[in-house]
Amino acid sequence: MKDRVALVASGALLLYVIAMTALVPLGPGLIALEPVEATPLQRFEVVGLGTHFAGQTTQTRVFVGQPGAVWEWRVLEARDNSRLLVEAVWPEKLKSKSLDVFVYHPTDGTLLLENALHVDHLPVDAATAFPPLSQPIPSGDGLGLHFPFQPQIFESIRNLLWHVPMWFTMFLLAGIGFVASIRQLGSNRLLPADGQAEAASRVALFFGLLGLITGSIWARFTWGTWWVDDPQLNGALVTVLVYGGYSVLRASLEDAMLRARLASAYNLFAFVILVILLLILPRFSESLHPGKGGNPGFNAYDLDSTLRLVFYPAVVGWGLLGWVLYRLGLRMDLVTRWMESLDPPLDPGPSTTPNSPLP
Amino acid sequence: MNGRRRHGVAVLLLHTFRTELRKAHGWMGLGLFALSSVYAAYRSVGPRAEAGTWNALVWLVLMFSAFNALARPLADDVREVRQYHMHLLRPQDWIVARTLYHGILLTALACCVWVAFAVFMGTTHFEGTRFFWMLLGMVVTAWSLAGAITLLSALAARAGAGFGLTAVLGIPLVVPILLLSARFGQAVISGLGAAEKWESLLFLGTFGGGAAAMGFVLFPYLWRE
Repeated sequence: MKDRVALVASGALLLYVIAMTALVPLGPGLIALEPVEATPLQRFEVVGLGTHFAGQTTQTRVFVGQPGAVWEWRVLEARDNSRLLVEAVWPEKLKSKSLDVFVYHPTDGTLLLENALHVDHLPVDAATAFPPLSQPIPSGDGLGLHFPFQPQIFESIRNLLWHVPMWFTMFLLAGIGFVASIRQLGSNRLLPADGQAEAASRVALFFGLLGLITGSIWARFTWGTWWVDDPQLNGALVTVLVYGGYSVLRASLEDAMLRARLASAYNLFAFVILVILLLILPRFSESLHPGKGGNPGFNAYDLDSTLRLVFYPAVVGWGLLGWVLYRLGLRMDLVTRWMESLDPPLDPGPSTTPNSPLP
Repeated sequence: MNGRRRHGVAVLLLHTFRTELRKAHGWMGLGLFALSSVYAAYRSVGPRAEAGTWNALVWLVLMFSAFNALARPLADDVREVRQYHMHLLRPQDWIVARTLYHGILLTALACCVWVAFAVFMGTTHFEGTRFFWMLLGMVVTAWSLAGAITLLSALAARAGAGFGLTAVLGIPLVVPILLLSARFGQAVISGLGAAEKWESLLFLGTFGGGAAAMGFVLFPYLWRE
């Protein structure tokens, strides 16, 4: 009964996640600030993605600078929805050679492109501070529900709702298996915990594979290759291999008690490897993976309410699905054992074969 | 108690060496495997390999040779001998002695592989102190492998399955070790400062040591009948 509730809840949550993944658009963002060929340092084009520059151009404003030293540029015209022609205004000296660009548009809200431009023609003084803008940079936008724009990641940000909860689910099930294995290892008898450890590790392996596949597809479209040499990825692959090894170990043992003991010992080993390789080591090494080593990741989205609106249900939904699969595995094993106890074994064995064809 | 325990480890270690050295085909087979792997590598890339190729090959050959050594059941792994040991020894003694045995065996093997590489493929990329840095790296890798795989090979032996199971259970653990070693080799080749090299060696040692510590804790459970 409880399992059925979990199944229905997980189904509803995952349907919601699928719908939101497919339906919620990506918010607008800036890609580049390109100088116009004939007039360097005077005219620039702001290049956006998913922006609405063509409308309400008169209310669009462009700001340039560094924190504490921001000034405004003049908007000339919108070439189309994603290209805005602006005229540069230069102060006498700069706070830094590297400039951020902000664009305010009534529909898109305020968009930021960090380190958009590098200028060499003006003196730099780190103490430079400009007076506050006469009209402050407005906030708020006229967009509906949308996913945040992230450089490089773009539309693939939706993978956060699939890939990351899948790994969380894997950790959850590996943890269940770990606890069950400790219980089995502390006993001299065959406990139900052994079956629980097996079922949990099986589902953990399944979710680990799903995590690898979704990660690989994401990498193909974001990094350009199916796989890169990266501590986080190596750790993930090794963890999945270790849990695969657990299945092989179980399959290679006939005696139930010996299997329970060896498999639980190996499972403890596997879980520690998982914790070391996926949760500890990547924190000490440089990684390209989002959320690691200064790359945009979940931390950067922490404050984005739209993503949270889907991410938390996704975590619960995938976790419940893992739990349901785990319970289903347990029941399947139970039914299999029950059927084996009902039927005579298929191979009656040598004692009941009177006429063997072999001499 | 402590004195008796050290004694048990020493006796078991000596006994393992004695029985294993008696079986000449065992360790000679390992050496032959290592030498022919090096020779095959030499024949396939030629005497003037690039530094990167050199680095990759030396660790791969070391890994496969080490695996060959670790996955081979010893004379003591016979069921009767194990039961006899169970009455005489503490399981911790057994796993410590076995880890030490593997560590020493793999150190010898690593030295063989390194010398064979130097002879066949030349040491153009490893002049002066780099030669000894690389040797040190191989020895640390050997101990790290011994620490990480001994429990798994004991587990496979206990399961009555041979090389195949050790490979399936052990290869995933070898991958991080191999990556760390290859990084160390790159650091040696490109002449980075000592800090980077020591950091790689420290990671290698921690990984092997951590896995060996887990083996120490878990092995008594495998040992019981």
